[in-house]
Order: sequence, then structure tokens, then C-alpha cells
Amino acid sequence: MFDYIINVSGYILEGSLITFQLYLVTAIFSVILGIAGALGKISKIPLLESILSFYTWVFRGTPLLLQLFFAYYGLPVLGITLEPFPAAALTFIVNYGAYFTEIFRGGIESINEGQYEAAKVLGMNYRQTMSRIIIPQTVKRILPATSNEAINLVKDSALVAVIGLGDLLRAAKVAVTRDFSIIPFIIAAVFYLVISSVIVTVFRKLEEKYSVYE
Amino acid sequence: MIKANDIYKSFGELEVLSGVSFEVEQGEAISIIGPSGSGKSTLLRSLIGLEEINSGELYIEGISVRESGKKTYEKMGMVFQGFNLFPHKTVMGNLIEAPMVVKGIKKSAARAKAAALLKKVGLSDKKDSFPAQLSGGQKQRVAIARALAMEPDIMLFDEPTSSLDPELVGEVLTVIRDLAEENITMLIVTHEMGFARDVSDRVFFMDHGQIISDTVPEKIFVNPESERIQNFLTKILSQN
Repeated sequence: MFDYIINVSGYILEGSLITFQLYLVTAIFSVILGIAGALGKISKIPLLESILSFYTWVFRGTPLLLQLFFAYYGLPVLGITLEPFPAAALTFIVNYGAYFTEIFRGGIESINEGQYEAAKVLGMNYRQTMSRIIIPQTVKRILPATSNEAINLVKDSALVAVIGLGDLLRAAKVAVTRDFSIIPFIIAAVFYLVISSVIVTVFRKLEEKYSVYE
Repeated sequence: MIKANDIYKSFGELEVLSGVSFEVEQGEAISIIGPSGSGKSTLLRSLIGLEEINSGELYIEGISVRESGKKTYEKMGMVFQGFNLFPHKTVMGNLIEAPMVVKGIKKSAARAKAAALLKKVGLSDKKDSFPAQLSGGQKQRVAIARALAMEPDIMLFDEPTSSLDPELVGEVLTVIRDLAEENITMLIVTHEMGFARDVSDRVFFMDHGQIISDTVPEKIFVNPESERIQNFLTKILSQN
């Protein structure tokens, strides 16, 4: 029994490698996309704002699963064929980028106008004001919402099993079918809980760090 | 030092400055008084470029604001009613930020300068505090020190004591008084009539977007010429 658990855990751990890779790639690029999107949304350039509003409307308003199907099964119809991992990564980055765009935009807009004025009368330009005064304050305010998304991403990553990626959940499911045992699912659940807990802890530490002011 | 020539400024339909002209000499302390909505704050904000004027000419040290853009603002520092300190930075961080980032001054030099300024406003022991840990009066004194750290020729004060509890007003006014004695050119929008009377070389009385009186304090406070000024002073003094 014990040997079986160790064995299956190893097998599921191999599958979770894909999950981790997807998580990392998505986390990095969707945050970058979100910052760019948020700055674009507050840029007061009408065309850019319209495009970004359309983007967030589509990607927040349709199921992630549909977007995943679209990238993997739909794009080939248009002549663009992607391997499962790139298709999944692209979908996740664009989808989470849309959420982060809205979260970051809200955070930036919550900063008092007086902060911009103080920076301006001290001679700071737009780039200095954003990077040194506005965005550092925004980080603190968006941490709770970002933490939620970070946990959602752990769970959403399981969706990639539907396009044949051998992730954590798929490995568990294969083991369940092969061994006719419920244990792999339980192990998978424990894996997800551990990952989520680590992320929650990291964000709690960050929130503590930022709580020194205000 | 400052020359304003027939300045107009509207927010949409609302005309806030309706032909304002004045001159300020080097080292003068000017108080700007008048009823709410008379354009006092907008006038200060226009000087430092937080508002763009619709017409008229503004010269700072002989340079046209319209033509030179940013250059003239660098000669001015501003203190706001709401302090607007950077909450994520310590008191020291607030003071060294702009000198380092904007002027490229080395950190050690910026800290030394900041320490001297904090001593001047009596807050040396607060250098590692965050703004949220300070009282309103302390915050405003930090804000004054932060503006001074950029070594401006002209200081603008936009109702610096209006959001303070009455018992904290004095400590801020003392700091501004000290500056007046150092002959820094200052424009102060204020509702503190006693302070305006003591500290200023001249007082501008504004109403409906115009300076309707520009004279020495005695003239306004002891012997006001116009009925509008008399009414205003009666109202203000009865509130205090």
C-alpha cells in the first residue's frame, strides 16, 4: 500500500512538471501583459482603450475552456497549428492577462490624484511617477486580488488535460483508470492543496511586508 | 520674480480666473485670501503648471511659462492642503526621492540635506517613520521639508493648515514664518487671518476670479476699503 502511494506519487509528480511549467510561464507573462494593459487602459488614448476593453470583455466573458479549445482545435482551421503546450500557455497568458489588466487598472486608479500632483511639482516625469510612486503603492492594494488569481491559476491549469497535455490531473486520471484505485485522485488533491497553500503563504508574507505603511 | 498678466482660466463653463494680473518681487511673502471658490487655489496651481491657463501670460524669473514648459516649474515648490506625502516611503524617503531621481544627487548628499531640513522643521527623530505614523502637523512639516529639498526659489502654499486640527496649526505656521524670515519668495493661500497679517508683505484679496485688492496687510485688516472685504473679514473672524 505504502509502496503504491510512493509509486503513484512519483508518477503524478512527473505530470505536475507540466503544471509547474505552465504556471510559471503564465504567471510571468500574464502579469507583464496585465501591467501593459492597465497602463494602456488609463492612457486616455481612445483607440487603445477601446481595443483593450474589447480584449478584457471577450476573455473575461467567455469560458477559459472554450478559449483553450479555440487555441488548440480552432486555430488550425485558420491555418495556425500549435502544439498542446504552446496552445495552453498562450491561452492562459492571454486569459489571465485580461484579468490582471482589470485588477491592475483598478489598483492604479485607486491611487489619489494628489500623489500625481505631488510627484509633478517635485519635477518627476510620467515614467518616474509611475515606476516610483504610483505602481509601488498599487502593488499593495492589488495583492489580495492577485492572490486569488494565483490560486485560481493552480486549479485552472488542470483544464489543459482536455487538450491532451500530461499534467498533474491527467497523470492522476491515467493512474486511476490503470489501477482501478481512487488513491491517485486523493494524491492529486493533496498536491493541489500543497501548491495552493504555498502560494497563499507567499502572498500573506508579501502582504505583511507591505503592511508596514498605512 | 513672478509676473502674471491678465490670466484667464475656466473649467468647462465655469470661469475661475477672470483676468488676474500681479507682480511678486524676490523675497516677498504674499498671502492670498478671499471666499471659497474665488480662484485662490487655481491661481497657485496655474503658477506651477497643475492647471493650464486659457489665456494671459505668466513669467517666472522672466521666463514665460507657456514657452518654456517644465523649466519654470523647477523653480517652485508646492505644499498642499492634503499633504500628499508618499505613504510607501519613510519621511527620509519622501525627502530624498526627488533630489535623487530628478536632480541626480547622490544618496549620501541627499540624505545629509534632508537631515538638515528635518532638523529645521523639528522632525529629526521622525526620519524613519512612515507618514501614517505622523500627526497632521508633522505630515505638513515633512511636506514643507520635502518641497525645500528641491531648493526652490519660490514656495507655494495651498491652504497648508486647513485640514489640520486647531491645536496643530501653530507648529506649521511657525515653520512657514521662519521661511518668511529667510526671504524665500512665498505665496500662501490661507484662511488664517492673524498669520496673513503678521507674516505677509502684501495681501491679495480675491473674489470672483479677480484680485480686487493688492495691498499691505494693515490696509486690508485695519482699514479695508471695499465692502466685500469688510463682509468677508467679518464672516471669517466671527467663525474663529
